[in-house]
Amino acid sequence: MTHQLIKAHLNLHAVLQNLEDLVEHDPQTAALAEDWRISVQFTVKKGPRAFISFADGACQVGPGKCRRPSVILYFKSPEHLNRMMDGTANPIPLKGMTRLPFLAKEFPRATDRLEHFLKPTDELLADPDYLALNTRFSLSTAVFAVRELCLLDEVGQLNAAHIPKGTVLFKVLPDGPAMHLVFQRGDIEVVKGEAKQPSAVMLFKNQQVANDLLNGKGDAFTAIAAEDVMIRGRIPMIEAINPILDRIPLYLS
Amino acid sequence: MKTYTYPQSQTLFKRAAAVIPCGIPGHMSPAANVPVSDYPFFAAHADGAKFWDVDGNEFIDYMCAYGPMILGYNNPVVNKAALNQLEQSDCVMGASPRMVELAEFLVDLVPAADWAFFAKNGGDVTNYSVMIARAATGRKKITMIAGGYHGVAPWMQAPGHAGLIEEDYRNIIRLKWNDFAGFERAVAEHPGQIAGFIATPYHVPAFYDSELPEKGYWQKVEALCRKEGIVLIIDDIRHGFRLDMGGSNEYFGFKPDLICFCKALANGFTISALVGSDALKNDAARVFYTGSYWYQAMPMAAALACLSELKRIDGPKLMLDAGERLLNGLTESARSHGYDLKVSGLPSLPYLRITNDESLMLHQDWCGECTKRGAFFTSHHNWFLSTAHTDDDIAKTIEIADDAFAAIKAKYGDRYSTR
Repeated sequence: MTHQLIKAHLNLHAVLQNLEDLVEHDPQTAALAEDWRISVQFTVKKGPRAFISFADGACQVGPGKCRRPSVILYFKSPEHLNRMMDGTANPIPLKGMTRLPFLAKEFPRATDRLEHFLKPTDELLADPDYLALNTRFSLSTAVFAVRELCLLDEVGQLNAAHIPKGTVLFKVLPDGPAMHLVFQRGDIEVVKGEAKQPSAVMLFKNQQVANDLLNGKGDAFTAIAAEDVMIRGRIPMIEAINPILDRIPLYLS
Repeated sequence: MKTYTYPQSQTLFKRAAAVIPCGIPGHMSPAANVPVSDYPFFAAHADGAKFWDVDGNEFIDYMCAYGPMILGYNNPVVNKAALNQLEQSDCVMGASPRMVELAEFLVDLVPAADWAFFAKNGGDVTNYSVMIARAATGRKKITMIAGGYHGVAPWMQAPGHAGLIEEDYRNIIRLKWNDFAGFERAVAEHPGQIAGFIATPYHVPAFYDSELPEKGYWQKVEALCRKEGIVLIIDDIRHGFRLDMGGSNEYFGFKPDLICFCKALANGFTISALVGSDALKNDAARVFYTGSYWYQAMPMAAALACLSELKRIDGPKLMLDAGERLLNGLTESARSHGYDLKVSGLPSLPYLRITNDESLMLHQDWCGECTKRGAFFTSHHNWFLSTAHTDDDIAKTIEIADDAFAAIKAKYGDRYSTR
């Protein structure tokens, strides 16, 4: 598995995934997408597929094929997709020529907004609303990326092989966001929200603590000892995930 | 029963975190103890089987500093030997006669040993053993047990950990414990490439039940190693002198080529040892391996005193018997509260787990409740008994455990029912 291919998986399945939460939690994007009714299929030659669908003021992002997409965007290679995500290339539209104005003008307003929330500065993070959304997106990106890296990255695969069946919950206290990873034999599922009977939990004391750790501003051992982060249960599951989390910046810097 | 609080520990930790990565790094990190708030971080003084933290709380210690304490903290016999040696010489220009005496003592004590070599930490000698195996065989690959721990050198750590590179683990083959067929397959898949097989005498993975060797496992491993010219290395750092004074391999009836000792060797003084067979003595000599403090005489004098004392009092039997009494009391107390406390491993270094909750959260809570009542229990690691644990200590521990079971019962009610 090449670096570009893994990066393409992360871009489609971890980064773009945030559009769902962006529409749900950012009032500006919610207003923007309120009347959107369109589905966009991303197809990468020798690479991953994913779709984004807007309807009824909500967004859905998923892997694989979308049924009757309004637009199909084709990429010649994983690298082509990654360059598009970096803003240095354009996709090849295969279907939905009449919707190109939407893709050229409307859709980028949402992706620009997402980029705004994914590229924090200390000044931006001083705003509690920004901090909350950046934390949500950072957590979501990390958890979705763990799934991809467990399946595709060599080190991720080696670590994932030692993760037993069970559920690992990540939650920012007191009210979320929360996400969990369900490990089953040969498959890993990412679920947004609480888990009923997690095998292991990693709880962040508050938004600030979660944000600092997810943005690499602190070390987990100190945070745990200081009770800023609480871990319980089958801790080897969390221990095995940690090195995988460390791999994310190798692909998404 | 009164429970402890740890304000001084927490204050000191804030100072530590400002100037030390992780505050308290490595295996002493508070992060391993769950819930963290139930545990002390800093010890002030210790005596016998007890230590006192910086808040003045007293603990009966079932971790024994993760194993080094075996005769009790502040043991007068060992301390006297160490201090006498310190007055004469410690780290000076020239090796000490104590080094020769200690090597002779080990060669006499350990049936598999024809020579001995001294360093400081367990990882020093596990790493040395692997280098010797490679020097002796001219091969690259090392087989170890998945979930086994042999120190922190890059080859010993799991792939992906910070600071490792791919090449660090390219030649490490991880096998399942007790899976002799897996070892046979590895040998067949890598003919003439495996230098060594390293494992603990029985499997002691953190967070999981300990596993004893199946009948005949070690004998088959030994036979295959002999047939294929693979160096058989026992990491006896954790188990050493808690099962058998001649090395834990004696307890299980097999003969390794190299044995690594540390922890209990000198009751907490800083020394480790590699002992080996005559066939590997020249290869050991060819590997250049040393350290600034490896010739310190004081820990060698302490080791001589510690081993002599353990031998005199039959330390392993005392610890196995004391462990048995402790575990019987704890499991009975658990049962009376409707819990199943599973014991695995051997009584001098047992691993315990409440089975009512597979996630370990209930067990973690119970260990924390015991600790803040004065019995220092960890939930992730095997415990250690010492010869200093008295019947009174054990009786008090069972009383504490009983109160802690009542506390978790009150907290969780019937959520975790008896099976």
